[in-house]
Amino acid sequence: MERRDFLKISAVAGATAALEGCGNPDHQLIRFVPEEDLLPGIATWKPSICTLCPAGCGLLVRVMQGEAEVIRNGQLGLLKMGLAKKLEGNPAHPINQGKLCPRGQAGLQVTYHPDRIKAPLARNGPRGSGQFREVSWDDAIKQLVSQLSDLQTVKPAGGLAIVTSPLRGQKKTIVSAFAAAFKNSMPMEFAFFDDGVLRAANGASFGHSLPPTVDLGQSNYVISFGADFLGTWNSPVAQSLAFGHMRKGRPGVRGKFVQFEPRISQTGASADEWIPVQPGAEGILALGLAHVIIAEKLRSASAAGHAGSLIEGWSQGLPDYAPEKIAAQTGVKSETITRIAREAAAHDPAVALIGDAATAQTNGLFNALAVNALNALLGSVGKPGGVTFSPSSNLKESNLSLQALASQINSGAAGVKVLLLYNANPVFGTPAAWGVRAALDKIPFIASFGSFIDDSSALADLILPDHSSLESWLDDAPVSGSAKTVVSVAPPAMNPLHNTRSMPDVLLGVAHQLGGDLARSLPWKTYDEAIQASFTALYKEKGSETAKDADEFWKTAQDQGGWWSSEEVKAVTAGGSSAASPKTAAPQFDGDPSEYRFHFLPFASQLFYDGSLAHLPWMQEAPDPLSTVMWGTWIEINPRTAEKLGVNQGDLVEVASQHGKLQAPALIAPGIAPDVVAMPVGQGHENFTRYASGRGANPISILSPVSVEGTGSLAWAATRVKLSRAGKGKLILFGGSLSEASPELKHR
Amino acid sequence: MSHQWGMAIDLDRCTGCEACVVACHAENNISTVGEEQAELRRAKHWIRVERYYEGEFPDVTVKFMPVFCQQCDAAPCEPVCPTFASYHTSEGLNGQVYNRCIGTRYCANACPYVVRYFNFYNPVWDKPLHLQLNPDVSVREVGVMEKCTFCVQRIKAGEIQAEAEKRELKDGAIQPACVQSCPTRAMVFGDLSDPESEVSRLAHSGRSTKLLGELGTRPKVNYLPRDSWHGNEIS
Amino acid sequence: MATKSAEQITIDLLRPLSGISGRWAFAVAILGGVVVAALSAFGYQIYAGLGVSGLRMPVFWGFYITNFVFWIGLSHAGTLISAILRLANATWRRPVTRCAEVITVFALSIGATFPLIHLGRPWLAFFLFPYPSERGIWPNIRSPLLWDFFAINTYLISSVTFLLLPMVPDFALVRDRAEGMKKKIYGVLALGWTGTPKQWHRLETAMHIMAIAVIPVAVSVHSIVSWDFAMAPVPMWHSTIFAPYFVAGAIFSGIAALILAMALLRKFLHLEEYLLPIHFENLGKLLLVMSLLWFYFVFAERLTAWYGNESSEMAVFWTTQHGSYSPLFWTMVCCNFLIPFPILAIKKLRTITGTAIASFTVVIGMWLERFLIIVPSLSHKYLTYSWGTYRPTWVEITITAGTFCAMALLYMIFSKIVPIISIWELKAGQHLKTQAVRLVVRSSEAGAD
Repeated sequence: MERRDFLKISAVAGATAALEGCGNPDHQLIRFVPEEDLLPGIATWKPSICTLCPAGCGLLVRVMQGEAEVIRNGQLGLLKMGLAKKLEGNPAHPINQGKLCPRGQAGLQVTYHPDRIKAPLARNGPRGSGQFREVSWDDAIKQLVSQLSDLQTVKPAGGLAIVTSPLRGQKKTIVSAFAAAFKNSMPMEFAFFDDGVLRAANGASFGHSLPPTVDLGQSNYVISFGADFLGTWNSPVAQSLAFGHMRKGRPGVRGKFVQFEPRISQTGASADEWIPVQPGAEGILALGLAHVIIAEKLRSASAAGHAGSLIEGWSQGLPDYAPEKIAAQTGVKSETITRIAREAAAHDPAVALIGDAATAQTNGLFNALAVNALNALLGSVGKPGGVTFSPSSNLKESNLSLQALASQINSGAAGVKVLLLYNANPVFGTPAAWGVRAALDKIPFIASFGSFIDDSSALADLILPDHSSLESWLDDAPVSGSAKTVVSVAPPAMNPLHNTRSMPDVLLGVAHQLGGDLARSLPWKTYDEAIQASFTALYKEKGSETAKDADEFWKTAQDQGGWWSSEEVKAVTAGGSSAASPKTAAPQFDGDPSEYRFHFLPFASQLFYDGSLAHLPWMQEAPDPLSTVMWGTWIEINPRTAEKLGVNQGDLVEVASQHGKLQAPALIAPGIAPDVVAMPVGQGHENFTRYASGRGANPISILSPVSVEGTGSLAWAATRVKLSRAGKGKLILFGGSLSEASPELKHR
Repeated sequence: MSHQWGMAIDLDRCTGCEACVVACHAENNISTVGEEQAELRRAKHWIRVERYYEGEFPDVTVKFMPVFCQQCDAAPCEPVCPTFASYHTSEGLNGQVYNRCIGTRYCANACPYVVRYFNFYNPVWDKPLHLQLNPDVSVREVGVMEKCTFCVQRIKAGEIQAEAEKRELKDGAIQPACVQSCPTRAMVFGDLSDPESEVSRLAHSGRSTKLLGELGTRPKVNYLPRDSWHGNEIS
Repeated sequence: MATKSAEQITIDLLRPLSGISGRWAFAVAILGGVVVAALSAFGYQIYAGLGVSGLRMPVFWGFYITNFVFWIGLSHAGTLISAILRLANATWRRPVTRCAEVITVFALSIGATFPLIHLGRPWLAFFLFPYPSERGIWPNIRSPLLWDFFAINTYLISSVTFLLLPMVPDFALVRDRAEGMKKKIYGVLALGWTGTPKQWHRLETAMHIMAIAVIPVAVSVHSIVSWDFAMAPVPMWHSTIFAPYFVAGAIFSGIAALILAMALLRKFLHLEEYLLPIHFENLGKLLLVMSLLWFYFVFAERLTAWYGNESSEMAVFWTTQHGSYSPLFWTMVCCNFLIPFPILAIKKLRTITGTAIASFTVVIGMWLERFLIIVPSLSHKYLTYSWGTYRPTWVEITITAGTFCAMALLYMIFSKIVPIISIWELKAGQHLKTQAVRLVVRSSEAGAD
């Protein structure tokens, strides 16, 4: 029988049994018959996958029996079920090898969040008013199907926009197929911290359009240009594991780590040398190091191969990048440039990383290409201790930018009739100057698959709430973090708490109802069928030493959390595309420097990442590692700058760019350049559950709509701002002091 | 000889990421106090990462140091508790007996590390966040002191399991939540009375120091300070 | 004082016991109101949790422990002055002794409520009591808090005894002049006193023993209270000076309280002919000595800390001297030394008004001193990351105000029920003086022959 009917009967049977002998039936919740066979007090461990950042770490979930208040068929009752109690890293998983970052640990709170959407919702008031009413799944799907089939019949075909987070695995397959079936569809993968620039650079330099996988563990010299690789960039847990090994995992050997950035990040805090650099000058600096290495014949210029050829002047030895010539522009002393270059060349393997703000400048692509050339020169590409690339080839298709889509919608050029939103918050994550909010208002029908009402899903007409990741089938093909081929898969670790449905399952159901080519292109009834099909294909391709057939292969993969190759795959990096590389070495900033005197530097928060985790109370209460701020936001200002502005710790500061302004309390930070101010991304949600709504300010909103030359990504570090004191603010700090030496002693 | 549990923290590996902080909250049923109470400095971070800046721009360095109950062998918090709620176990841990605690908070004042936390109100979990609670750890009520226990529930579970299976406990088999999660492997937990254990090896490595050791508390956490780069060093 | 007849003395000193004036009732109502507010605040705290106070990491002791130490300290006046003056046979003590003993009992009772008020789970306070529990757990004798428990209880019992013993003859006096219900109640309290020589002898012996016994008890109590702090490794707490420093401070605040109480009694109960300038003069001199002693202790402690230059101690030192606690610190120095010293040292200023003003500032200064011992040290311990602040809430302020009002209220009620000056002792003093005068006259007469 159908699961629903079974539950109905069980519920009644259970209820009857429970009510017999009950003292006060009106006040007691009925007990549903358990759907699982669990021993209380005994834990089982189930594999899962972390979906909170692009790294794709493997999880082990501790599941124990507990009693949850659930609604089944409109009836509230108690159900004994397996509940996820703790998340740990999966020791067998090649990316994180049993370790887990603080965000991963907090993932538990997504499933149990009090403000999770518990059932499908339909808009029940003006758009954005937050008024919704619960509807049945049947009704919700019916409505979605009718909207989409209208699109197919309208001539010319109405526009379908699908905005999701960057997808991988079978989710990507399903969504892409879905989009492909509509003539005028605009599928778009959106993330504020996008790796598009790195992919473009690596594609051009090395032929791999992927973020790098860095073998830090074997490295002897690491130079990072602004990449927060121990906190939020790329694959932080894998990189942290390797970093620990680089420092103290090899007896007698300790790698050196140098960080170049205008503001000391959490990663920069662990550097042997933290050297401030002018914003946007990272590429010039990297070429300065290359110049010294070539000029002093520590390596030959041709060693850089194709990557070097992409840099103008490379074969002549980069005459424009001599240390003395670039010292003023980069803000780094020429002796330092020379010394670091010599040290790196002398301590093989040496590797350079670039990311975050350095690739989010107008010259971000140039900077990345420069660092690639430096790596190639140092001889670290494709070698132990250097840069390599994951064999998982989940190439991201170039897609429309959200900025372009928004402007097309606003100008009337594009007629988007239906927008599907999944795991993306474009209203929050885009500059106000893009006009995304206004564009969304012009779209007649918006459906969201999210689990929470956030700034974007608040505008939806229909919400089809997804399971949380612990309640879902999951698959993933991580694009960095390991040189092994890794394909993760995990069955749900627990049954759903609420009346939610897995997003891919809903899409597949809708596809089948729509029929036609779409249904043919998606021959699976459920998501796990789709994943199994991909594993069957994988088995055929890779074979297996242990599994005798595809079924056993599939079962083993589910038990251990995925399949991975036993050996690391050596990446071939000689080639690369010859796409035109950007010429502009120097960064450009939006805002007249005489009025907008400060560089505005948003940065990924260790706790909120890009803001998508601000709704988790553990993340709001954990002190930010450098500032120790809890439950708030702040703007970091250099001590001398603060003095000049007459701003004390905690004072409210108004930060204005050419495109908007916000207010945040000032935090005096020793490790930031005097002409730079920095603000974490993550707070400032108008709407995002009781814990994050109306809290703090969103730096993304005031960013200038400038792009990275050559890629079209948002150059989010290219905005200039002006500051003024705006009254008294509130800073909640967990730390009582900035330095170990008692500040009271400085009094004398 | 019974186990003597201790830890080693390699500050050359620690990156201040705070995975340990969140893992501890998840494992030990520590309630979130909320914005208002956090402003009153009542958040209960059993393990916290202390961050110290040194120097002035542009020569700025940062130190991270995870600080939590040091399970001192000469713990100042133990003699002062009038009800024996704070006592020393046979395995070298400082035990906190929630049922005995009447909340005089003398132990919190006596602790030089300020690692003891007080429940100023009854803990609250907005439902259904309470479903995440670990059944192996008690939930403390208002008026009771709490602190890091080296995840004693995991220690006990590991010991009971080993005894039931009639085998020795392997070094590294028991890991408190913080140690298990630490991405750089900066934290090591083990038996200090076993000279072969990794924690003993690190404790006797010559780099090991004790936090506030000069106070005579005899803490069981060995801090290995951040090292510096010494140029060519290939063994 | 002019020699009064025994009858006149009795009439004067029993007058306050009869009738309640409107002014008295009004004062009691106001004071009572504040006390009720304080009790409600405490009730609210039990209901909601200690979170309603301003306590936080790292300052886990604040107003409540300040009050605890302050009131226990204040209680030293009474018994110490009364006991020492009795043993020294200082004749001027006679009107003063009961005032002093009453301060002790009430201040001690108020102070002793604070270990209950500041507990996280006060309903389990009985864990402090050494009873044979079914789990075989006894309280921890090594804890200074337990020493507090025994010391304060001992002191309370002995002070109450020391107060009640000399009250017996006065109860008898009231009984003899009373009618009806009043006669019955005072009859019970008088314990069948008839004034036989044997009874007098017993009374004198008992009081003599108590006087000797109560002195070491009083000294030990505040030494033990000081060890609540000194035994903990907290910067500027862990100092050997604490025991004598606290005892001296206690006596200091006690004498000040006594002078204040006497000044108020003199005015409102019209005891101008019994509480004379000479009493205030003598107590004023004692207060001067204690002020000097207090200054000496503070100076010695701070000089040692400053010279030693130990970094965690210096953090606390500077925060009180220059930093955020300096306004309170310098107020305290003014209140405890800079203002009282000239008033008490210059004979012309050492009047009843003068000593009362000096005492008032000392009471404030000593309360601040307790606060400044506790909070700055806790705010600045060894790891600078853990440094914090403290700000009391309305709950703590209300309860503090409640204690001062409770003290005044209890005193006012007591002086309505019992003669605040020991009638029989005064008469005995008169008698002795007259006898001494007669002896002198006789001998001079004899000499003149």
